[in-house]
Amino acid sequence: MPIDTANPTLDFHTLAEHRSYLMKVARLQLRDEHLAEDCVSDVLTQAFEKRASFRGGSSLRTWLTAILKNRIVDVLRKQWREQPLELPNDEGGDDQIDRLFDAGGHYAQMPSEVRDPAELCQQDGFLAAVQRCVDMLPKRVGQVFVLREVFGTDTKDICKDLELTTSNVWVQLYRARMMLRTCLERGGFGNAVAR
Amino acid sequence: MLWLAKHRMLRISCQHASRLLSQRQDEPLPFGKRVRLRLHLLYCDACTNVSRQFTALRLAMQQWRERQ
Repeated sequence: MPIDTANPTLDFHTLAEHRSYLMKVARLQLRDEHLAEDCVSDVLTQAFEKRASFRGGSSLRTWLTAILKNRIVDVLRKQWREQPLELPNDEGGDDQIDRLFDAGGHYAQMPSEVRDPAELCQQDGFLAAVQRCVDMLPKRVGQVFVLREVFGTDTKDICKDLELTTSNVWVQLYRARMMLRTCLERGGFGNAVAR
Repeated sequence: MLWLAKHRMLRISCQHASRLLSQRQDEPLPFGKRVRLRLHLLYCDACTNVSRQFTALRLAMQQWRERQ
């Protein structure tokens, strides 16, 4: 009779407690409820099958998040292959960002003043506004941003995972951040300053 | 110090500085770029605000992830 080496404390119920967290992340990344659900179910099943390899060195959530990241990268890679961008420079956005600057490369409008970033994050509704703004980014720009900021993936790994060049990843992240900051300014965060 | 920061050999535009501000969130900047950006931030309030906005974005995403 084979010896059961599986981690005895890790039952399916314990794993499933992290389901809503995984769904929240998958939804932000994939913007598709069904796809997110499929993905998270796969992750929980995989985690249960591989539970013997969870050593408890990291937290369970960290371990599950790593599995989710791999699963999501597979999904994104497939999506990107099936729907290649028609133009190499894709999805627009560049004009929108260039318009923020005048001909000399100066900001046409003074960016809102932020005295303390940590304090801004504490403001009521700020995190919810950030999430809304991320949801409004052009799809791929948002996907690269979430991979970077939610999963903490290195730009080198994003290049490898999504078959992008380094400069392309930088451009996507730059676009994401610039669009997010203008989106949040429109939402009234930060103190508007007259120039 | 300010004359040095605004010297045409070292001066960069806000548009250029903003790209570097984003890039430095992802990897360490090479020396030359780092110096130019630092000098730019000495006299540019606009980019100083943008820099703090980028920091706030990063913090916000961390907090968003942890809040559950």
